Formats: sequence, C-alpha cells, structure tokens
Amino acid sequence: MKSFLSDAAYFLFGSPTAKYIWKRLAAAVLTLAIILTIVFFLLRQMPIEGYFDNFDKMSEATINAELRKMGLLDPFPKQLGRFFGDLLKGDLGTSVKYRKGAAVATIIGEKCGISIAFGLSSMLFALILGLPLGGKMARSKIWDKCGTVFIVFVEAVPAAVYYIFIQMYGTDILGISMLFDKTKPLTWVLPVFSMALGNISYYAMWLRRYMVDELNKDYVKLARAKGVPGKKIISGHVFRNAFVPMIQYLPSSLLYTVCGSIYIESLYSIPGMGGLLVEVIERQDNPMVQSLVMIFACIGIVGLLIGDILMTVIDPRISFARKEGSR
Amino acid sequence: MKYTVEDRLGKKLENNIHEAMNTTMSDEEKFSFAPYDPTAAEKTGYTSYSYWGSTLRSFAKNKMALILLFVLVILIAFTILQPYLPGQYGANTVNNYPMSGMQINNMAPTKDNAFVTVPEDTVLVASKVKGFDDWYAVTNVLASIPKRTDFTVTEYGGDWCKVTYKGQDGYVKNDKLKLPDDTSAVPFSCKSNFNVSLYSSMEDMTNPDTNSGGWLYIAASDTEDLGSGNIRTIRETTVRTYPSEYGFVFGTNKIGQDLWARVWSGTRTSLYIGFMVAIVEAFVGILVGILWGYVRALDRILTEVYNVLDNIPTTIVLILVAYIMSPSVKTLIFAMCLTRWMGMALFIRNQIIIIRDRDYNLASRCLGATPGQIMMKNLLPYLVSVIMLRMALAIPSAIGSEVFITYIGLGVPLDTPSLGNLINEGRKLFSGAPSLRYQLIFPTLVLSVITISFYIIGNAFADAADPKNHL
Repeated sequence: MKSFLSDAAYFLFGSPTAKYIWKRLAAAVLTLAIILTIVFFLLRQMPIEGYFDNFDKMSEATINAELRKMGLLDPFPKQLGRFFGDLLKGDLGTSVKYRKGAAVATIIGEKCGISIAFGLSSMLFALILGLPLGGKMARSKIWDKCGTVFIVFVEAVPAAVYYIFIQMYGTDILGISMLFDKTKPLTWVLPVFSMALGNISYYAMWLRRYMVDELNKDYVKLARAKGVPGKKIISGHVFRNAFVPMIQYLPSSLLYTVCGSIYIESLYSIPGMGGLLVEVIERQDNPMVQSLVMIFACIGIVGLLIGDILMTVIDPRISFARKEGSR
Repeated sequence: MKYTVEDRLGKKLENNIHEAMNTTMSDEEKFSFAPYDPTAAEKTGYTSYSYWGSTLRSFAKNKMALILLFVLVILIAFTILQPYLPGQYGANTVNNYPMSGMQINNMAPTKDNAFVTVPEDTVLVASKVKGFDDWYAVTNVLASIPKRTDFTVTEYGGDWCKVTYKGQDGYVKNDKLKLPDDTSAVPFSCKSNFNVSLYSSMEDMTNPDTNSGGWLYIAASDTEDLGSGNIRTIRETTVRTYPSEYGFVFGTNKIGQDLWARVWSGTRTSLYIGFMVAIVEAFVGILVGILWGYVRALDRILTEVYNVLDNIPTTIVLILVAYIMSPSVKTLIFAMCLTRWMGMALFIRNQIIIIRDRDYNLASRCLGATPGQIMMKNLLPYLVSVIMLRMALAIPSAIGSEVFITYIGLGVPLDTPSLGNLINEGRKLFSGAPSLRYQLIFPTLVLSVITISFYIIGNAFADAADPKNHL
C-alpha cells in the first residue's frame, strides 16, 4: 500500500512529464490572469452607453448613480479584485440589453449546446474528408494537383466570401430556406459543410506535408525491403507517425466548438454562441461582450495546454523540456 | 579606369568574333589540337551565379504565378488610374434620373445605357434636360389619341399603321384596333377601345420602365432643332435610358450609386489597408524580431511576453479594438497591426537565431563591426526574401480580416467604400431577388482575384527565393 502511494506520488509529482505538466499548468494560470487583466482593462474603455438599456432618456445624475452602484467608478485595482472574486464564485455578471437581468452564465448555458453540436459534426466531417485527401495527396500526382487547387482556394479567398456563395447557391440547389430550422435535418447540411471546409484544407495540407516527410524516412525503406505491403506501410506506419503532430491541435479544435462559428451562425441564424457575440456587439451590451471575450480567451489557452500535454503523453519521444517548435 | 578596361575588353571580344566569322579555317586547322592555355582553364572556375538573378529565373519558370503577377499589376494600376479615366461616376454620388428626379436604384449592369437605335431623319419630340445641356429628353409620341376617338388609316401594315389624326401624320401600333372587314381599302376611319399613342416613326421610343419616370435621352450633337419642340436626327444614333454615353458597367446599388466606381474605390481602400498593414507589420516585426533574436538578454523577457500576447485570440483583439475605437480605416489598420507584428517578430527571431552564430558574423565581430552593423549588413539582407514572402501573404489576409470585421458590423462606414462593406451590402440583398446578385458577385470577383494572386505569387516567390531550388 505504501509503495502504491509513493508510486502514485511519483507519477503525479516526481516524473519529468508530471513536472512539466505542473509547470505548464502554473504558467497557464498565470498567463490567463494576465490576459484577463489586459482584457478587463481594455473593456473598461468601452462606451458607457453599453451599460444601460435606455441611455438616451437618463439624466447625468442617474447615470453616475447607476455607474457607482455597478462599481464602475471605483479605482481600477478594486474593480479588478472584485471581478476576479466574482469569477472564482462562477458569477459572470448579468446582461443589460440582450436579455435584461438574466445571468450571463444562464444565457451561455442555453446557447452553447447547439454550437457544440454543429462544431463536433463539422469536425467529424472534416476529419473524414480531410485525412484521406491528405493521404491521397501525399501519394498520387493527380490528387496532389487537385488538392492543391482546393487548398489554395480555401486558404486565399476570405471565408466570408465562399460561405456566402455556398449559402446562396446551396439553398437554391437543395431547395430549402436560407435559414436554419431545427426541425428540418436538411438545413444542417450547408452550415456543417461550410464550417468543415477550412478544416478539411487544414488537415489535408498538414497531413500531406508530414506524410511526405515520413515517406522519405529509412524505416519506410526497410519495411518495403522486408516486403510489407504498401497499404500496410501507409496505414500502419506512415499515417500513425504523421498524425502525431496534428493531435496537438485537436483539443483546441474540440474546445473551440463551444464558441461556435461567428460567420456561420449569424449567416444561418443559428441560435448559438458565435452569433451571440456579434449580436451583443451590435446591441452594445457591455457585460455580455466582456464575459464572452473572457470565455473565448480562456478556451484558447486551455486548449493549447491540453494539446501540449496530450503530445507528451502520446509520443514519449517528444520532450518539452526545451521550448517547443513554433506552429 | 573601370570603363576604359571594360571598353577595351568589349572591343577586343567584338574584334575576335568578327575575325572568327571572317576567316575561314582549313580542315587541317579545324582538326588539329589546340595548344594548352592556362587562362582558358581558369574560366570554368568562375560562376556567374547571382542570388536575385536565380530567384527571378526560377520564379519565371512558374507560369501560373507569372500570369497572376501580370494580372495583379494591371489590376492595381487600373485601380489607381480609374478616377482619372473619362466618364467615371463618383463613388459616393447618388445618381438620379434628371427628368423624374428618382434614384437610379438597382439598375442592372449596362454598357452604355443604350435603349434603342434610331435611324437618320427620325423626328422626335424633345425637351430640355436640367443640368445636362448636351442632351434632350425625347419621345416619338406626337400625340395621345383618347379611346373611342376616330382617326384615319392611310396605309395599312402588319405591326404599324400609318394614320392621320387631327391633321397630323403618324403611326399607331396595329394592336387591338377596331378595323373594317377589308383593310386594304385605305383610307378608312378607325378607332380603338383603349388610349393609343401616335408615333412619329415605326418605333416605340417610350421607356416602359416607370421607375425611371418613362424618359429616354438623346445626345444633342446628333440632332438638329426643328423648332416647336421637335428635333430630327442627322445620323444614326442611340436613344439612352440615362443622359450619358457611359453606362453603369457594374450596375447601381439600392440608392443609385455607381457600383463600378464603388468597386474600384473599395479596391483602393482594401489594398491601402493591406499594404499599410503589411508595411507596419514588417517594420515592427523586423525591429522587434532582430532585437529579440540578437540580444540574448532580451530573449527570455520577450519570449514570455510573446507567450502571453499570442494566447489572446486574434479575433477577439480585432473585435475589441474595433468596438472600442470609432470605426474608420485607421482603426482597422491599427487593430490588425496590433495582432500581426508578433507572428512576424517570432519568425524573424527564429531565422536570426539560426544564422546568428555563423562564422562570418564571428569574423565581422572580430574585425570590429558594431552590433548595429552586423544586424543591418550581415543578418537583414539574408532575410529579405522571407520578409517579402510574409508581406505578400499579409496583404490578402489583411483584406480578408477587413471583410470579416465589416461583416460583424464594426467595419469602415459606408461612405468609405471598401470591398468588405460592398460584399456585406451585396450579401444583404441576395436573399431578396436573384436579379440583384450582381451587386455581390462583382466585388467578390475582384476580391478573389486579388487575394488568390497575392497568395500564389507569394508562395511561388518563396519557392524561388529558396536557394535549394536554384540548381
């Protein structure tokens, strides 16, 4: 029993990987605190109209009284302290315009479900299409040419443009209405497809590059010399090795599904998180903008952290003792 | 001195060639061994390799990139010159029909406003157009014949009948007229149950489009004045829907602004944003990157700062800055520069670290070069090609960001056309009528050509600039 405990303790605190993870965690918390402070400071610069839903009709005295009641006239460090205190309690503030008086956390809770559903299905779609495309591009000239045209198009043309055209002509061809309707399964197709396009090109491009690198390595030659069938070399050796560097970004992508896609959700009027940010910006609802920005920033950092940790866990050859390479 | 040597050598070479061409060698000479010449052996030791020459040569091999470079240069030149070309409408001018005063809203693209061609010697009823001295508003309707009023048909034809009404000769459309059994026995009296128009020629020169107020226009220089409000064409000419030979090539938008002018003005704005962002990004990025890479004491601090800043999502910074500051082109450029210089700086830093400790830098230092000299003379020239690549790719992505920010509703105001707000305006329309899709398609077409060209040229240049490809 004692040895189990000490083993566990070593595994959790003593091993190099564990040490690295703890260090990263501490750094991430610190980074997060700094970023939240910066964002909080930036958000204090927002126009004060955004704190009231009937700003034009209010006198200066009432505005000042209200601002004082909200604590916005306090010195900055005091506001910041209160903000972090509330954050630890899980209180994100209340909306003033979008839905007056409702807690931001409640609104987000209602909204993020559909964003996650869309995000996950588009990710799945992108993986199913993007990985085989990348694999084919690494091996066949014709696929490489066609794939490159596709990738150049998706990378070079701003997403807004091809999203609009997909919506315009896609709805014509499928004969459905422009907007998303929960009850009609067909209206899921276009948003999911549009959201996946960028990721398809991303997965294809990187898998191709990593696979080309791997295909030139000695172990492939050895396997071929041994007489391992070509298909098995690709699926059993090359693909697995090439996929490792891509795993790093999967957790980020997964977490980012919570944020939803700003473009897609407002184009198709999907009641999710991405559209929400645009909407609260348009209506100048400061507390909502603030909490959403905070959440999006946190997700980015946490995603990167999990990605790095996942890499060390999956591929023991990778050591993060030194600074990892740039993406 | 240099020139005289070159001249002398050049002359000598020329003379040699002439000599070789003029003297005919005997077969014996041709097949005898040449004597040993040590200077000739030296010649192969010299190579004419130049980095930029090779880069250009290998860039020229990429036909696609070359074509796109050509397209891009023409497009940018045209964008700059467009306001100085003749017959351009203002980008923010709201165009009205002069006679009715209505906005020319959502007019489909037209080359020259042509409505119909009229032959020489056509008599038309004309009125003056306010503000357009060289134009007449015309119609060839001489009179309107009220319903159930008699007029005399003097010549019966298929589509048109020549008639006389109240002493005026003219033509009416042979449409729903009350005709006698024998139409060949002219003249006969006839009437219609509807109002009919008496035309001066066998052509209907009235604009059926009531949106424009029903007026058509003709250039005064093609006509002569007959007095009493009538004019006669002196050559074959065109009757137009708007008093100008220059049409709305890309159509007009919903308040009658010329889309052609707006698209090019928007391209100017977007390219300006793109270039400014690329230049600021390069300047700040290079400055920070070189310090970061070369000055060891700064490395630790700057790396930590980078880790913090890099973790803030770019979109969020763009949105926040655009939200907090008032929307303008400057705000957009500022917001984009704020997020982009970091990538450039990291990139330069990584490159500098690779070449920092090479022997030639050590040698320079031993010879007493200052750090400033090493940075500017030894390190920076090495990076010119990669910097240019980054800048080429920064332009399309800045243009893309502009479209995104405008889409969110935080872009430049509408009186500064940019490709972003043109696309956004076009997008709002397409759900309504398919006939208005041209308002989205033209700006997106220009945008796509620009972004794809920059992207492909940038990548082709990067390949060409890589010395590995210079063999």
